[in-house]
Amino acid sequence: MQYVAIALPVIMTAALVASISAVAGEISAKKKADDIFSDTMKRYGKDVQVITACDGRKRVIVEGAKEGEIMPREKAKDVAILLNGLVKYCGAEVVAVMPKNRVDIHLSIDGQPFFTIDERDMKLPVTLVHGSQEHTGREKQIWKAEVDRLVAKGYGIFHSQITGKNGISCDMCHPDASNTHPETYPKFQTQLKKVALLRDMINWCIEKPMEGTRLADDNEEMKALEAYILSTRKGVSIESGKH
Amino acid sequence: MRKQREENFFAGLTRREFIKCTAISVAGLALGPSLTIRTSEAGEPFTFAYISDAHLLVTDQGKEHRFARSLIKAVKDVNAMAPQPDFVLFGGDLAQLGKPDELALGKEILADLKAPVKMMVGEHDWYLDMGDKWRELFGKPTYSFDHKGVHFVVLNSVIVEDYWTSPKMTPMQRMLAMAQLDNPDGRPFTVGREQREWLAADLSKIDRLTPVVVFSHSPLYKLYKNWNFWTDDAEEVQQILGGHEKVTVIHGHTHQVLTNRVKDISIHGVLSTAWPWPYAPKGTPVYTSKMFRSDPFNNFDGCGWGYVNVLPSGQADKTYMLWDRNPMAVTYNRLKSKEAGMAPPERLSGPHY
Amino acid sequence: MKGLYTLLICLVILALHAAAVGGALPAGILPPEEPVDNPATTAKVELGRKLYFDKRLSVDDTVSCATCHEPEKGFADGKKVAEGIGGKKGTRNSPTTLNAAFLELQFWDGRAVTLEEQAKGPLINPVEMGMPSHEALEKKLRDIPEYRKGFKKTFGTESFTIDHVAKAIAAFERTLVSASSPFDRFIAGDKGAISDDAKAGWVLFNGKARCATCHGFISVYPFFTNNKFHNIGVAMKDANFEKLAREAQKGTATPEELAFREGVAELGRFIVTREPKDIGAFKTPGLRNVALTAPYMHDGSEPTLEAVIDFYDKGGVLNPNLDGGMVPLNLLKKEKSQLVEFMKALTSDDIAQLIKSSQGGGR
Repeated sequence: MQYVAIALPVIMTAALVASISAVAGEISAKKKADDIFSDTMKRYGKDVQVITACDGRKRVIVEGAKEGEIMPREKAKDVAILLNGLVKYCGAEVVAVMPKNRVDIHLSIDGQPFFTIDERDMKLPVTLVHGSQEHTGREKQIWKAEVDRLVAKGYGIFHSQITGKNGISCDMCHPDASNTHPETYPKFQTQLKKVALLRDMINWCIEKPMEGTRLADDNEEMKALEAYILSTRKGVSIESGKH
Repeated sequence: MRKQREENFFAGLTRREFIKCTAISVAGLALGPSLTIRTSEAGEPFTFAYISDAHLLVTDQGKEHRFARSLIKAVKDVNAMAPQPDFVLFGGDLAQLGKPDELALGKEILADLKAPVKMMVGEHDWYLDMGDKWRELFGKPTYSFDHKGVHFVVLNSVIVEDYWTSPKMTPMQRMLAMAQLDNPDGRPFTVGREQREWLAADLSKIDRLTPVVVFSHSPLYKLYKNWNFWTDDAEEVQQILGGHEKVTVIHGHTHQVLTNRVKDISIHGVLSTAWPWPYAPKGTPVYTSKMFRSDPFNNFDGCGWGYVNVLPSGQADKTYMLWDRNPMAVTYNRLKSKEAGMAPPERLSGPHY
Repeated sequence: MKGLYTLLICLVILALHAAAVGGALPAGILPPEEPVDNPATTAKVELGRKLYFDKRLSVDDTVSCATCHEPEKGFADGKKVAEGIGGKKGTRNSPTTLNAAFLELQFWDGRAVTLEEQAKGPLINPVEMGMPSHEALEKKLRDIPEYRKGFKKTFGTESFTIDHVAKAIAAFERTLVSASSPFDRFIAGDKGAISDDAKAGWVLFNGKARCATCHGFISVYPFFTNNKFHNIGVAMKDANFEKLAREAQKGTATPEELAFREGVAELGRFIVTREPKDIGAFKTPGLRNVALTAPYMHDGSEPTLEAVIDFYDKGGVLNPNLDGGMVPLNLLKKEKSQLVEFMKALTSDDIAQLIKSSQGGGR
């Protein structure tokens, strides 16, 4: 019993320390990157433009483009291509310098010292893809479980009699979600007299044959129904517009 | 051709023949113009009607609930037949959840039929209380009778192995599990050993040449297991029936225009009054002229009732009275004329069984 | 290359057509179908207009097309059933000629495919315009100098036939089009174009009242009809349809004759197709300007829009062939009046102009 009394606080402290250091690590990486950035900017003064990516974490210092000037189109294209490439460093703080010659790019990841890569060769070291890691098996398992959960929820609603007020359930006309043809949407739906998405038709069925109340477009049950119906058509090619 | 058709249409026809000829001329499925061929076998031809798969629910809509309205409409339509059919078969699934009030409502509506009614049980009637209320209201589920030289057999062909005792299901849970057509844990329908023995004994008293008509809820062949369009001991049942020359099976459960021919047995599915099932992804027999997809806005579309003309030969012609559509007729002559023999339904792969 | 030429010519003709005459259609609407052998020209439309309003097309010079399809009366006649020569009553309510060019079939039972075919019918109908034959009309009109001149100008011949007459009338009718109403402006984005009640009515129209399936609005075909035939139970309650169907077979009556025989007329589309599913089924009419064309239904049996809503509210009239889409609606009183308000919003903004221009007054 006393082992538990000792072990529990020790474990909890360890966990606390781990989480704090993780956050601290993140904070320190940003600080380091900021320091490198300001040092680099001191060298250049006003002779560069800084382009920041939308996540705020990727900053490109472009040589030969003056602050306040409009960049020539060719150069802007190059910057865009570079930023696109940097997206692979998902989650990392990146400071990049694009020199005038546009061939060598200097990169600093998470405040580490600069290294140089050839712009023509944007093949990045595998270990640096997606921040620092590939998707783990566990992550994929979690994502799949979440999808399966929504599909199962949809399965339940689809096969129950609670959606409408007259006791009719979807699976009466659509066992195994047959005859729903989700891969043909958007298409002109004759019952609705206009082009519809799958959820529009689901709502029509809820209102008309099932005499129920329509679900809002962002309703969780509607999403679940769509998830289930679509899950029965994996691998079927999309033929939107087909009657 | 059209003029001939029109003349046949009306010249001094009774209502029944009016419908018959209409069905032939517009559906274009029959081969010959006349149905009442007198052959050397002078059996008396007659007609019986069927209404099936009402799936009644009792809600606060009462008789205004669309399933009740449909059943009432079917009763009205059968009552309007002139001349009246000899009797009306009810093809099973009178109730949706087997509840006493659903069965009682069904009995009340069917009581308005002018012709006598022969009842047959479906799985939706049975699995709430294992047929207690059904027996109380309608008597034995399995029986036979003779009519104008034809031997009729009524089976309870929705027997399944026990799936409810071990998981300790309540009666309603048992019923709901059975009610879900695409239930991946569903058990296949059977006629079962007891009824097969009864059937063999019953038919042994009947001469080989006497026409036999079998009423069954499940199709007595194997079409699509996932939806229990299936009778697991179909081969054994067909073997027993094979001892007779002229056998027709009329079955419910499938809620669609469905025709098959196995060896020499004609097997006809009947329409539901409540809703149509889609055709199974595979296994639909080659003898079937499929009906078009129904319009879900129209509560009657894809549904209806029908009747069977038993010919002097003892074989049968079937007519589907589809609401809001032209009638469809499937005659014995046409069935026979199609290439003999159909490959048995393909072996199904899949995760469920 | 030939195909391209034809296409170009068709486009030019369409453009001329649109430019020369009649109601302007908002962009994006599929134009009415025009037969290849009857392209519109200004002269032809003028000729057709003259014929449309000319009472001499009837045997006793008292009835013209405009008698039953009068511009001031929503291009209908405000009567239950049409009244022809000598006040003779027909069996059908006069439909409006406005936007009739967009319908796939003409007449309540769809027995005419084109406007040309339709125009020929009333001319020799004994209870409508009563000419003994088409040839008699040809002779009569050929005796009139202004028509000789007019047909010569339009068709290049003074010995014109009934086909020419029908073509001219049809060409005129194709100019009687309008799709600009307060509702159209509302759909285009003007939120203030119709009242809140009408907006609520529009929601009901597509929802609880179940109108849209047969009377649906499609943006490229905004005429509120699916061009199909449905039995909703008008006049069917007491009809013994087998008896009527048998009667329909006495002799060799044409659909046209059957449509005017009391009783048999109620068989509707069945008269044309002879298919059991069509017994008692009539064509879904369009709803534009419906507020102007009372009374309603194929026999004029519903006097007001309110009466029509009540008819649908009770689920039509039960009969063996009632369309399965008809169910009791359980509409509230307020909802019923909102539906009526919506339908009133379908009256064309330019109806006054159209009335004037159809009679030859300039635009």
